[in-house]
Amino acid sequence: MPKSRRLSNAGSRRGPLLPYLLLAPAVAVLLALSIYPLIYSISVSLQTAAGWGLGNFTRLLSDNFFLTAMAHTFVYAIAALTCEFLLGLGLALLLNSQIRGRGLFRASLLVPMMLPPVVAGVVWRLLLNPNFGAVNGTLKQIGIDTESLTWTASPRLAMLSVIAVDVWQWTPFVFLVLLAGLQAIPQEPYEAALIDGSSRWQTFRHVTLPLLKPAILIVLLLRTMDLLRVFDQIFILTEGGPGFATETISLYIYRTAFRFFDFGYAAAMSFVLLIVTNVISVFYIRVLKHETQIQ
Amino acid sequence: MRLTILLALLVVLAVTSLSCNKDQQPSRKELTLAVVSGVEGDALKQAAADYEAKTGVHINIAQFPYANLFEKEMIDFNARTGAYDLIMLDDPWFPTFASKQFLTELTPLLQKRGQNGPDSDFVATSLAVCRHPYETGALYALPYVGNSQLFFYRKDLFEKHDLNEPGNWMDVLVAAKTIQEKENGMYGYVMRAAQGNAAVADFMPIFWAFGGEMFDAAGKPTVNSPAGIAALEFMLALGKYSPPGYASFNADEVGAHLLQGTAAMSINWPAWISKFDDPERSKVIGKIAFTVLPGYQRRGQAEIGNWLIAIPRDSQNIEAAMDFLVWATSAEQMKLSALRGNPPTRKSLFQDAELLAKHPAYPAQLRSLETSRPRPRTPQWNEIENAFGIFLSKANSGALSPAEAMNQANAEIEKIVQRGQ
Repeated sequence: MPKSRRLSNAGSRRGPLLPYLLLAPAVAVLLALSIYPLIYSISVSLQTAAGWGLGNFTRLLSDNFFLTAMAHTFVYAIAALTCEFLLGLGLALLLNSQIRGRGLFRASLLVPMMLPPVVAGVVWRLLLNPNFGAVNGTLKQIGIDTESLTWTASPRLAMLSVIAVDVWQWTPFVFLVLLAGLQAIPQEPYEAALIDGSSRWQTFRHVTLPLLKPAILIVLLLRTMDLLRVFDQIFILTEGGPGFATETISLYIYRTAFRFFDFGYAAAMSFVLLIVTNVISVFYIRVLKHETQIQ
Repeated sequence: MRLTILLALLVVLAVTSLSCNKDQQPSRKELTLAVVSGVEGDALKQAAADYEAKTGVHINIAQFPYANLFEKEMIDFNARTGAYDLIMLDDPWFPTFASKQFLTELTPLLQKRGQNGPDSDFVATSLAVCRHPYETGALYALPYVGNSQLFFYRKDLFEKHDLNEPGNWMDVLVAAKTIQEKENGMYGYVMRAAQGNAAVADFMPIFWAFGGEMFDAAGKPTVNSPAGIAALEFMLALGKYSPPGYASFNADEVGAHLLQGTAAMSINWPAWISKFDDPERSKVIGKIAFTVLPGYQRRGQAEIGNWLIAIPRDSQNIEAAMDFLVWATSAEQMKLSALRGNPPTRKSLFQDAELLAKHPAYPAQLRSLETSRPRPRTPQWNEIENAFGIFLSKANSGALSPAEAMNQANAEIEKIVQRGQ
């Protein structure tokens, strides 16, 4: 008894301090790797050649390259997200049912996701080469005129090409998360729906979709954040060309920082991107919280 | 278990820090070189190994791909770490480095060695890009690799169709049309118009030949002058004889078309010359001729693209670095570099019998280098080239008319110039 009292006394003496001590290493790492760089980059973004001020931020508004790159980023993100989500959901529903050889399908679907984006970019750059590439080669074989199909070199097709590559690479991820979500849904609601005589569409609309919502929101959140900061594939595939047609905001930030060495302006653009990403993420998280509270 | 790992780590740390201390002993001379990946940097790397064997000065090599070298050097200069004693640099970067006083002036160091300046064997245009301001200013680097653009054409097809070596751009257009119409599966010309460096590099010789100037005497951009617009219109006319998709081509695609024998003419850099004789890759062995760039309103001028070597201002070993720099750019050492495939920057080597036997294009290369022109000498060149390249690429991909593209490019370049003032 006295022994245990001593221990508990010691505990209460150390009590207020101990949690902080245990947290300290994590806080130190966070400060060093996250908070300090963030504050530093704020101060960099407020410096221009003329001195301190908001010059870098006001310049954003009159910079056509920035505004166009921002628009491209949204077009890219919305189009890729829509395709990836619809395809991923379709595949997940398909492979969640008992079809023959679904193990093989599932495994092979994951291959694109395992490639580093740079490798995917190089592979597709070769495949889409208008003169020597496999895509036009195959189309020619089946009798399609490929003269105007210059893929990454045409201002109309270049954006489509980079979006297609993203869809090719990241649909498997959406599929994987949604499949996991589907498999976590218990059987009982389906049985109840069956007894109530609901149609397949009604079951999907009123049972599957609501129960899958948390998984859907998580995958949309992750993909949106990724799509808004896309860099590697586009850099390899088109370098933002032809004539700026596929330049996204990350590419422009990279050029500004490491080609033109204008870190202040690059930091300012990064901040705008950070804020945009945060606003969208908070929106998703709010919806997600709301959903889970209802349930 | 964790304790053992921790102990092992500590031991490793202790040993490495000890060995670091040993390296820092002042008795042992050491230099660090930043070089580019590829044949240019490899030659200097080899020279460094020879130098180490000869003098005992240990040379560390930091090798980076072209795309990263500039940023590594800039970061080193800005942080003033003095990490590199010698750097390789592409000549368009020189105005940025020199105007910010990142480099050591070389003339006083040469004078200490009893020389008034660099010797007169260097090609004048190669030395001119090592001076800030251009041609007349102080010397901050020495030229190591003497690249300048060349005009490549299929001499077998020119003979077959009774065409003469093109002297001006209109001859080029006629030849492109003739060959494309008469040869099956053959494009008359291949150019690269990917945004950025590629489009600008292929356009500048046309722009200059048509009488275009990027800036007037007061430094205001003038790319949308009638001559500039006419030059871009001509580029598009020539583009009709270039393989589809050239608006995204870079040097690799241009090289591939020439090697495969699917295009008859192009502008390219000398590094490609030896590849045409490689039986494993080339279908055009002995069929390609090299000459200086065509003219039009003015004589033809190539872009110069020399690799220079300089000593950063913050180097701790400036004297030792200068010893190596003078040695590496001597005729004897540069000849070894030339035998490894790099064009020299010394006139005597362009006329060296052994090198001429190995590189039959040397006479054309020397003529091209001697008449070459640098890209506009401004510290903001990277930004200007990027903007100009975007609008050239837009015109070539059909998104803008030549006049619109040049007007918008001019406005954008003006903004960049104003920001720099």
